[in-house]
Order: sequence, then structure tokens, then C-alpha cells
Amino acid sequence: MGDDENRKRFESLAMPHLDAAYNLARWLTRNDDDAQDVVQESFMRAMRYMGGFRGDSARAWLLQIVRHTCYSWLKENRPVQKVALDDVDDAWQEIAAPATDEPHSMAMRKADRLQINEAIAALPVPFREVLVLRELEDLSYIDIARIADIPVGTVMSRLARARGLMREALMPTARPTLRTVPRSTHVGGKQ
Amino acid sequence: MNTPIESRQINAFVDGELDLASQLEMEERLRRDGPLREQVNGLRQLRETIREGADYHVSPAALRKRMASSVAPQRPPARPPATAAVAAAVQRWFGWRPMTTSFGLVAVLAVTLNLAWLPSSRDGRLLDDVVASHVRSTLGQHLVDVASSDHHTVKPWLSSKLDFSPPVTELQIPGSVFLGGRVDYLDGHPVAALVYRQGEHVVNSFVWPGTAKDSKAEFSEERGFQTAHWSHSGMTHWVISDVNRSEFKTVIGAIQSAEGDR
Repeated sequence: MGDDENRKRFESLAMPHLDAAYNLARWLTRNDDDAQDVVQESFMRAMRYMGGFRGDSARAWLLQIVRHTCYSWLKENRPVQKVALDDVDDAWQEIAAPATDEPHSMAMRKADRLQINEAIAALPVPFREVLVLRELEDLSYIDIARIADIPVGTVMSRLARARGLMREALMPTARPTLRTVPRSTHVGGKQ
Repeated sequence: MNTPIESRQINAFVDGELDLASQLEMEERLRRDGPLREQVNGLRQLRETIREGADYHVSPAALRKRMASSVAPQRPPARPPATAAVAAAVQRWFGWRPMTTSFGLVAVLAVTLNLAWLPSSRDGRLLDDVVASHVRSTLGQHLVDVASSDHHTVKPWLSSKLDFSPPVTELQIPGSVFLGGRVDYLDGHPVAALVYRQGEHVVNSFVWPGTAKDSKAEFSEERGFQTAHWSHSGMTHWVISDVNRSEFKTVIGAIQSAEGDR
């Protein structure tokens, strides 16, 4: 009897977020079949741990489980890709403030979907996940912190770094000769 | 010269995630700091590029089906689902009976009356709401909350505001422009409203999760507006516009075929 009610509750909690779950899994595993397996396993886990859900954000709760399942999966299947997470959090400092003369906008607009998708896929996982959660799921920093199990400050650093990497990946096509230097500011600008 | 601002502060500012004091401080600073302003603009552009350009991977239909059936309430799996449901209903009924006969009788009467009477009046009230909402949206400035011709932008936005993820698609018919989406309120809960322009006419397409079985589109005309409603894959759809009838049917066809594709 309780089982049916549980399932019903779970169905109404989890099914609305199936797309979000799949999107995250797909971006983290970078593969359709694996993403499907991960989602399926995540849902089974979620159903088991439903008692742990406190009723605030079902989406964040579910995505937290999906992420966790993804990480287990990545560890098993792609051990090579493991990132030294210790370096990650200070890494944003290496990215200089972006060049202020931005002929970027033009180049950026032309960056086609393929290029953008490839750039995201190429990000190390810790950066990829915060970027996907922020830009594609439009989640708040607090939700992201909860899902990725890191402090909000770390969400901020990783997101800044992720965007820095995205800019680098999307920008090299901007040819220096086309660079326009606006008025008085000569700050930045990689030479 | 200004002290450099941490890159993460600027990111948080662009994301609207700073606390109020820092937010105001940043705005103040932006006014005098040209390079910072350009940095912020660059970041906004990057954000927009990623949001518009990145694929949102929607769950494949097969996975959705598999998950729905593995998650759906079921009795012992050996029994076919229909029988199980009937058995459950009967069990529930007998669980009730001991309460009192009269209570049972009243309940049966009430349910019967409701069944006969409710759906039509409910649809009627809903139809009024749909018309009112459509008119409101076209009169005021509030046609869309998120303006984008790209479902990759609109879908996650709507999903983040609602507790369900509505199907969002551009329509593959001539003269159709996808304007974006907004959150509206119908039938007692928040719903997704997808807004299209068909030629000169606005089309509002409302979607929310319902319990009804899949059904064919039912068309009607109300105060000069064309409306249609149906259920598909657990979603209730109501569409309304002031286009002419034949064009409206084309629009509905396009919405339904887009839905069938997913």
C-alpha cells in the first residue's frame, strides 16, 4: 500500500525533471547511451532515497543524485579524465580580466552551435557542470552549490573560470588585424 | 585607478547573484569605470551566446517511456496493469465500506453527479479563463516573460519557473514566428504559455500537466477567438488565437506534429 503511494509521490516529484536530469547526464557523460543509463540508475537511486527529500526543490534534489551517479560512472569508465580538483578553485585567477576592447561580440555571434557545444564538451567536468547548471538549467548559485556539493564561493570561482575558458575557446578566431580599439582605453588586449 | 575586482564578483553581478549592497556598489562603480563596463558587457554577450547556442538535451522519448512505466504505481508486476488497477480500485472500495452505508451512498451520488455535471462546466470556466488570459496578454505589454525565438532558451527558463517541463517547439509552418514564453495562471495552477505570431495574429498556447488520457483536439469558437484543447502525454493543451479557422487548424496541426516528434 505504502509502495504505491511512494511511487505516485515519486512520479510527481521526479518525472517533471526528466529532461533536466537527462540534459545534465548527457553533458557530463557526453554520450547518449551512457546518459540514458545514468538517468535510469539515478531515478532508481532517487526512488530509494526519497525519504531524504525535504520538499524544497525537487529539481535540485534529483540533479544532485544524477550528478553523483554521473561521477561514479565517470570514475569507472573514464578514469583518465580525473581532474585534480585541488588546482581548480584557484585557477580562475590565471585568467586575466577579459580584454576590454571587444571585437569579440562579432566573432562571438558567429560562433556556431557546433563550436559552442564543442567548447562546453571540452571543459573539465567541474567547470562543465556548473556552466551547464547555470546557463542551461538557469539554476541559482545556491542550488548549484547544493547539487555539486561545494560552497557557493566555489560555485562562483568555477563559473568564472568556466566562462573564461569558454571565451578562450570561442575567441581565437577573432583576428588581431580586425581589432578595433575604442576611444581612450588600451587596457588588456592580449598581444 | 580602481582596485581590480575579482572576476567572480563580476560574474556574480552579471548573474544577478550579488547581495544588495554589493550589487549597488557595483552599479555605482560601473557608471565611472569604462573598462569594467565593457567587461560586464562582454560577459553578458558570452552568456547569451552560450544560452542561445548550446544544445539542451531533451530526454529521448524511449527513455521517458521507460522511466514513466518503471516509476508508475503498480501492483505485483506479474499481473497486467489494467487488472491491477481494477483490483486496487475494488480493494479501495471495500476498504471504504465499513465506514457507513449512508456515507458510501452519499459519496456515490456525489461522484455520479459530479461526473455528469463537472467536466462541462469546468471546461466552460476554463474557456473563459483562456480567453481572458489571451486578451490580457495581447492588450498589455506582458505578452512574454522570456522573449526568444529559440526553444533552447525558452524551455529551460519555463522549467525553472514551473514544476514541470513543458514541450517547447518552434512551428514549422510559413508565417509563424516564435515570440517566447511566459508563466500564466489557469485552472488553479501556474501554466506555461508559449506565444507565437501567425501573420499579424497572436497565438497563445497554454500547457500544463494533467491526468486526462490522450485525446484529439476539440475546436470551438468563443467571442470571435478560435480555440482548441487536447491532452497528450500527460500534458493538457489549450490554444487560442484570432486567426481565421483554417489557419488556426494549420497552427494546431503544427503544434501537434511537433509534439509527436519528440
